[in-house]
Amino acid sequence: MRPSRRDFIKLTAASGIALTVAPLMAAEQPPFLARETLPGRGVRRPPLGRVDGVAKVTGAKLYASDFRAADLPGWPADTAHALLVRTPHADRLYEGLDIDRLASIAKPAVVLTSAGIAAAGIHAPPFYAGNLFSPVGQTPAYLGEPVALLVFEHFDDFDRARLALRDGDFLRFGDKTGPLQKPNYGAFRFTRIAGPTPDSPDVYSPLQEGWISPGFTDDSGRPIWRPLPVPEGGQYVTGAQHGEAVRALLAGSDPDLLVLERDFETQSVDPMFLEPEAGLSWFDPASGRLSLVLGVQSPLEAAEAIAFLLSKADVQHRPAAIDTNFAYVGGGFGGRDHTPFPLYVALAAMFFPGKAVRLAHDRFQQFQGGIKRHPFKMTTRIGVDRASGLMAAFAADHELDGGGLANYSPSVAVVGATGALGIYDVPKVDVTTVARHSRGVTAGSMRGYGALQTMTALEVLVDELAAALPMDPIELRRRNALKTGGRTMTGNPYSVSVRTPEILDKLEQHPIWRQRAAEKEAARPGFLVGTGVACATKDFGTGADCALGTVAIDPEGRVSIHADAVEMGNGIGTALANRVAMHVGRVADEVTVAQVDVFDALALVTSGDPYSITQAAQDEAARDPRWVPEISSATSASIGAHVGTQASAEAARVIFRFGLWPAALDLWGIAPSDPRSKQWAEAFWQDEHLLMSGLSPLPLPKIAARAHAMGGVTGAMTHAFSRWAWSQASFAIDGNEWTADIDALALRRGSGPFERLERTAVAFPPTDYNRIGTAFTSLCGTLVRIEIERATGALRIAKAYSVLECGPMLAPEVVLGQAHGGFAMGVGYALLETLPPYEDGPGNGQWNLGRYVVARGSDLPLHDFDVEVLPPISPKEAPKGMAEVVMIPVVPALLNAISDATGHRFQSLPVTADMLKGVLA
Amino acid sequence: MTKLAVRINGHDHGPMDVRDDLTMNDFLREYLGFTGTKFGCGAAQCLSCAVIIDQADGTSHTSPTCVVPAVNFDGKAIRTVEGHARDGALSPLQTSFVEHFAFQCGYCTPGFLNEGQVLLERLERSKVARADLERVITEALDGHLCRCTGYVKYHQAVRAVILADPTRYLDPADATGDAG
Repeated sequence: MRPSRRDFIKLTAASGIALTVAPLMAAEQPPFLARETLPGRGVRRPPLGRVDGVAKVTGAKLYASDFRAADLPGWPADTAHALLVRTPHADRLYEGLDIDRLASIAKPAVVLTSAGIAAAGIHAPPFYAGNLFSPVGQTPAYLGEPVALLVFEHFDDFDRARLALRDGDFLRFGDKTGPLQKPNYGAFRFTRIAGPTPDSPDVYSPLQEGWISPGFTDDSGRPIWRPLPVPEGGQYVTGAQHGEAVRALLAGSDPDLLVLERDFETQSVDPMFLEPEAGLSWFDPASGRLSLVLGVQSPLEAAEAIAFLLSKADVQHRPAAIDTNFAYVGGGFGGRDHTPFPLYVALAAMFFPGKAVRLAHDRFQQFQGGIKRHPFKMTTRIGVDRASGLMAAFAADHELDGGGLANYSPSVAVVGATGALGIYDVPKVDVTTVARHSRGVTAGSMRGYGALQTMTALEVLVDELAAALPMDPIELRRRNALKTGGRTMTGNPYSVSVRTPEILDKLEQHPIWRQRAAEKEAARPGFLVGTGVACATKDFGTGADCALGTVAIDPEGRVSIHADAVEMGNGIGTALANRVAMHVGRVADEVTVAQVDVFDALALVTSGDPYSITQAAQDEAARDPRWVPEISSATSASIGAHVGTQASAEAARVIFRFGLWPAALDLWGIAPSDPRSKQWAEAFWQDEHLLMSGLSPLPLPKIAARAHAMGGVTGAMTHAFSRWAWSQASFAIDGNEWTADIDALALRRGSGPFERLERTAVAFPPTDYNRIGTAFTSLCGTLVRIEIERATGALRIAKAYSVLECGPMLAPEVVLGQAHGGFAMGVGYALLETLPPYEDGPGNGQWNLGRYVVARGSDLPLHDFDVEVLPPISPKEAPKGMAEVVMIPVVPALLNAISDATGHRFQSLPVTADMLKGVLA
Repeated sequence: MTKLAVRINGHDHGPMDVRDDLTMNDFLREYLGFTGTKFGCGAAQCLSCAVIIDQADGTSHTSPTCVVPAVNFDGKAIRTVEGHARDGALSPLQTSFVEHFAFQCGYCTPGFLNEGQVLLERLERSKVARADLERVITEALDGHLCRCTGYVKYHQAVRAVILADPTRYLDPADATGDAG
């Protein structure tokens, strides 16, 4: 159902290319890592703040775009510069690049096109199915498709060519052919018919019956959703018949049922991360090594994709080894997860051997070639019992435009569809979704990931239902809210806390809501005032999420952490340091992220696709004590807190239990026979001292020194895997059976090497869990008060309030910052940002900021925006992802406020001042 | 080609020949390796590329570098993000940015830092009433784009520096009162 992933180990073995994945190392001495990630070296670290804070306020080289070859030890002294030329047309034949005319301005050292790729035996990885370059004589597959990669030995030549290509017309095109027609990326139907009572089994659900897809299209390529009576229909027919029954109910004439049906459209937008994509590469023919510096959210995927790209190339273009180094990213929001950009960085070096080459988008190129958010067209129907206000049935049809190059479209379609019910519990549901191919710029992962689009349509419609019943909008939401244990659209309950009632209570009690009528009444002359509310829930995790983590403590009590998660502004380094500190008593002195190659001691192997593996295959594979369903996954899907810190937290727990605790007992003089020796869970840390009732506080350095002296556990390395539940494994440690939410463990004793422990038992989450839409979710509600000037349509957000829950906050200031940032991005999406489709859109290479408008500080209620985070429901509650959910309710809350102010319901985004002025005229 | 000489963070660079259409951003990043100054849009819209220009009269202002030819900076003295810390100690504004978690990915931080520093220096010369402070900060920072933070903590961080030393930045009537 989801895009398949390749098998890292199998691929590496098959290609014969040795692959290493590491954070960027050593720009100079002291090593790069010291400047990149760590406090207190060179510049004094303030007592508070992010662990990467000093580096970011001193201009340290952090991002992929910062590095040139001269910064990297062992690389050539000079850097060449590459340029990716993309097509502004996808409806006519491409006839080539006028390279002679360009050469009169600046002559490239390398011109790489489709022909060169084919001759070298290079193939695009299957995830990005399609051409790497548009071939001459064919219609480009999509706007912005690369046609050539040019490499210039000197920067000034590159710069002249870049400007000439932007302003000039160097591409030749022939006859109009119309755009290419290709099959859709995926079509799914989610139908659930609840049993007669909440406790009884569902009559039909995706969890019980499996996910279904029609498999038939009409002449225009659209799926045929009605249950065709053909043998191939099989499983689909059953689900579709239930779905059609839901639609018949909604189309009926039951006077007790209020049914509203609305269309809603969302637009294409750009993630607009501030750092355009960039990378550096160098192929050394002498050693056969390809070295790269990249900045992506998915390091292992990028490394694997490059290995695949070159694995069947001819001998000149096939490296013996690939060394990938990963830098911090200047914003991601999903747009750097599975981006094809690193492929071109690698190609630049392979076709200019011996030279270091930098490929960096400017902003025009980033708009033209960067991954976009999917635009959706939706029709949503809800039937509500007029007397009780309970939703009886829900049906929706979604169509999303995935653009021209395969990416995450099927997955976004699924998340959008399964999120279409938002916070609600509805017994009869039928949702169809199709991710369409088009000639547009490629759409993929972006914050909100489909749920933003479908929940916006939902929350606007729920507000309209409340008015039509009539019923208070918050009361309507409360009556229909999914409760703890209630089943989602796929038929499974969430396995985490569901706190919708508390969120709704907070919204209802807030002054913005309580004073809405009075404020509307008191609007200034010439202005309209409105208040809007919305509530959203968003999954975190993907159903196959991994974490790798190593924690070590030295004899002086200094703590270091190494993890595979990527820092993209999400504060993962700080969250790691804080979560580990809960167990070892000290915020880490060293946090290194984006590492995959320092976990060799675990000797992990994997096989199969974690999303599609059968239970029998998983059981068989699990007999190998080194096997895990997947080794490393992208930093995306709001997994930072929940997943990204899991392996390191469990490593820290092991160090405490089998290193620091025995050392403390020794220092206290407590014998193994003393009952207190078993009470390790009662001890706690304060100010780097271990406290235990009735005993003298022990300073961490003293405990650490004793742990080292005793040969206790001073380092632990773990791997964790989640498929809507953690893998669990047991290990024999010092005569104890240690069971934890990890599936691999290596320990260091004293200052010795890390040594792998054989797991004595393991339980991987059942493969049936792949039928779950999501089991992890967090909630956020938002209130906004707006003021609209009648004469101009200018909208001002006067006040706002967001209330969310995310379990324990690992880095509270980061959580608040994400809520602020999500609000700003929501405002941009609702009111400002839009990219037209196709020829007038970003694929034409003429888009930049200025034309594309994102929220500035003056667009936001900087001094009147309150964020409230509910305290965790239990001390045992695990951290929950929250970086996406905080954006979602902002959008429908603004639309609902606009409706409250103007009486007009807009059914598309964005709602601009001109549109407001139009309805107020 | 034109000769360019510029003083950056107190150190002289040049004279050297540069193309007339070379931007100051590329001069800093590609010629000198000062990559603390970022490239965001190339259209002077995001200002992640902004640097401080110090005038002979002791005043300073920021300027984008992505659309301004390097030769326009000939003879000028500028400050970049690399030049704020002194002898290993962060400036008060840098410290406040870190302590307030003002940034997330940090790519826009050099621009905000330079703009905030210019504002502080301007307020030292020309103090404002406490009641006008929020507006003054918003006006100063509003040209800068940040995609991660929602701007709230950047504003809080700048405000905190000012309110920590009110006699330096605020009108005397306000400076003696409640600094919070």
